[in-house]
Amino acid sequence: MTIALLLLALIWVGFIAYVVLGGADFGAGIWDLFASGPTARQQHQFITHVLGPVWEANHVWLIFLLIGLMNAFPIAFAAFMSALFVPLMIALVGIVLRGAGFIFRAYSIRSEGMFARLWSRVFSTSSLLTPFFLGTAAATVAGGRIRLTDITPSDLLFAWITPFSLSVGVMTVFQCATLAAVYLAAEASIHDETQFAVSYRIKALVSGIITSCLGVLSIALSITQAPWLWHGLFVDALPYVISTVSAGTLVLISLIMRYYRLASLFVILETALMLITWGVSQYPYIIPPQLTIEQAANDPQVITILLIVMVIGMVILLPALLFLFIIFKWTPNVHTTDAHRTEVQKEA
Amino acid sequence: MEQLLAARAQMGTSLAFHIAITLFGVGLPFFLCITEGLALKTKNPTWLLLTRRWAKATAILFAIGAVSGTIISFELGLLWPTYTKFAGEVVGLPFMLEGFAFFLEAIFLGLYLYGWNRLSPLVHWLCSFPIWIGGLLSAWFIVSANSWMNTPAGFVIQQGYIVDINPWQAILNPSMPYETTHQLLACFVATSFGIAAIYAVAFLRGKRDDYHRKALLLAMMVAIIATPLQLLSGDLNARFLAQAQPVKFAAMEGDLYTEKGPPLRIGGLVDPKTGQVYYAIEIPYGESLLVYGNLTGEIRGLDAFALQDQPDAVPVIHLAFDVMVGCGCFALLITGLFWLLFWRRKRRIADNPWLLRGIVVAGPCTVIAVICGWMVTEMGRQPWVISGFLRTRDAVTPAPWVGVTFLVFVLIYLLLSSALVWLLLGLLRQPLPQAESIEEIYHEAEESVGV
Repeated sequence: MTIALLLLALIWVGFIAYVVLGGADFGAGIWDLFASGPTARQQHQFITHVLGPVWEANHVWLIFLLIGLMNAFPIAFAAFMSALFVPLMIALVGIVLRGAGFIFRAYSIRSEGMFARLWSRVFSTSSLLTPFFLGTAAATVAGGRIRLTDITPSDLLFAWITPFSLSVGVMTVFQCATLAAVYLAAEASIHDETQFAVSYRIKALVSGIITSCLGVLSIALSITQAPWLWHGLFVDALPYVISTVSAGTLVLISLIMRYYRLASLFVILETALMLITWGVSQYPYIIPPQLTIEQAANDPQVITILLIVMVIGMVILLPALLFLFIIFKWTPNVHTTDAHRTEVQKEA
Repeated sequence: MEQLLAARAQMGTSLAFHIAITLFGVGLPFFLCITEGLALKTKNPTWLLLTRRWAKATAILFAIGAVSGTIISFELGLLWPTYTKFAGEVVGLPFMLEGFAFFLEAIFLGLYLYGWNRLSPLVHWLCSFPIWIGGLLSAWFIVSANSWMNTPAGFVIQQGYIVDINPWQAILNPSMPYETTHQLLACFVATSFGIAAIYAVAFLRGKRDDYHRKALLLAMMVAIIATPLQLLSGDLNARFLAQAQPVKFAAMEGDLYTEKGPPLRIGGLVDPKTGQVYYAIEIPYGESLLVYGNLTGEIRGLDAFALQDQPDAVPVIHLAFDVMVGCGCFALLITGLFWLLFWRRKRRIADNPWLLRGIVVAGPCTVIAVICGWMVTEMGRQPWVISGFLRTRDAVTPAPWVGVTFLVFVLIYLLLSSALVWLLLGLLRQPLPQAESIEEIYHEAEESVGV
């Protein structure tokens, strides 16, 4: 294993963290958009409460992905950024609007005022759009549609639009929704919000099944549209494909049996395996089928320094991050749930 | 719109917005640390009420600073892919370190903002340290990456390839100490005057209770320490630039010709076409005195450099520089007057309305000064993006539609700024909660944040 590959693996771990944490934030925004009925307001409050302490930290993982690629694989990074200008610009607008929308809603003076309602919509709508464009951008890379030479203006505008990438984009949206629904069900059951737990359980099951169908469709489309990926999937990554499918099945089973925390663990495992599958099937290319990881790698000395810095940084950060999650995610909050329950009872 | 111009405009707008917001994102947590510390030490609930109020403003400004920072990290690649290819090879390290420092800030900010009644008061206060230290570090790292663009170091070009890369040397490039110090101090100056301006308005409206008094005094106290240091750092910076980036220096001083003992030109329109500087106030030998401390020092003017290596916006650079210096001097004058009157009136805040109005004006002035300073740094480096190595026009993306994305982002910034101002004003108008003890504030806290 070369040092460049080792670093890429570390960046990939960061990428997985982004998808399982940041992706779930997008998913929570999606459920926020579709929250309706008499409990819509409580659902919004619940989501604000769940995301509040962690969403900023969850999105820093994306910066790691960007900067890691830029420093370790500058040629590939520059090529991605030129070729994916359109989907990434749109995703960027989405990231900005959802972050701003979330904080404006959470800190609005009157939670039912025009200002709060408007930014609430901005937050939830951009939570739906952003993962779609990020997913298509990823599929454009995996599908081998990034060209290093002879780039035409129409490539720059439309290379990312293929049935395969669109299908992966939609799948990404549903995967985010599934992740969020599973976590929200678990979180609701910790706080004894049985009503919410039941509803997110059904949402998780439905979106999980849709995600699997879209997964099958995307793989089928890859036969003609992304032959490199298809080949990689069945030659190098078959064990990972099988593990991903098994983890997905375990998510469904544990949801059916109402083991919400177990389901959270399995859905993280399933997402991680899915991304590992992608990584393994694309190996040794960083831009299939033109540029390998080794060809794109920066000076080994620079990569070594980066690797050391990243490991030291993680050693400092991870305990702090764990502390954050233990404080807010594993400790039931008597204070707010009490207030919340009285509110629900009052309305009932 | 022309591709290069559109890309520069979009990058410039994004940077200006991000910098203006993050001045407070870095500065406010430092104030939180002081006020909460004072609350714990004195058990005075007023300090804690201030902390609570400022924490809300911090949460909003930090979030907007974070999303606008995400814009910058994407735009570096999306608008300037060739730049990231070059800079990524050499100077990716400070970007990564900045990422870590920012991560630390985000984690502890989450704990701080939502942990009022989940953490003990002491632990809660301790959580404010990694926030402001992380903020200063991330500003330090990112500005060191920018200073590398001004004075590139840590690599060699051999037959068109970058070799002998030393990322540490790249971070420790010659401009780094000057630029980073100037920016870090700017965070303290702008935040202290920003806070002071808000409470000076309250004073003008007759709200002179302990709460407003404490806020104004604390802000002016930080201001009187940070502002003189900032002017000193600016002076060192200018002298350094005269040696290290003479083209930028000539543009900001409005020196069209090489002269011995040049005057200091204040204001005026520099016209490189006619070779004249119109309407400037000239102080004889002033520039020579400032740079060399004598009357005969030689300063290279723009005529000493090839036309294709000169910046394209000399009049703007000169004016931006003078506005920055003017605003900085005004801020120093105001804080000096404030403390002079304070001591002469036996430690009472002067109720002179003109002094209070001066503080109100100084608030926005300090932010304008920072933006103008960055305009000098960035426009003065043109036509290079990496000084002497990569021209801005060679770094720009080939992607079409940059004009469109520029307009979209201008709209987004307008939207965000107006929502931000509206929300912060609303926050200010909220009545202050009554509290008997600091424990009560800690206990009641969570209900009003984000839920």
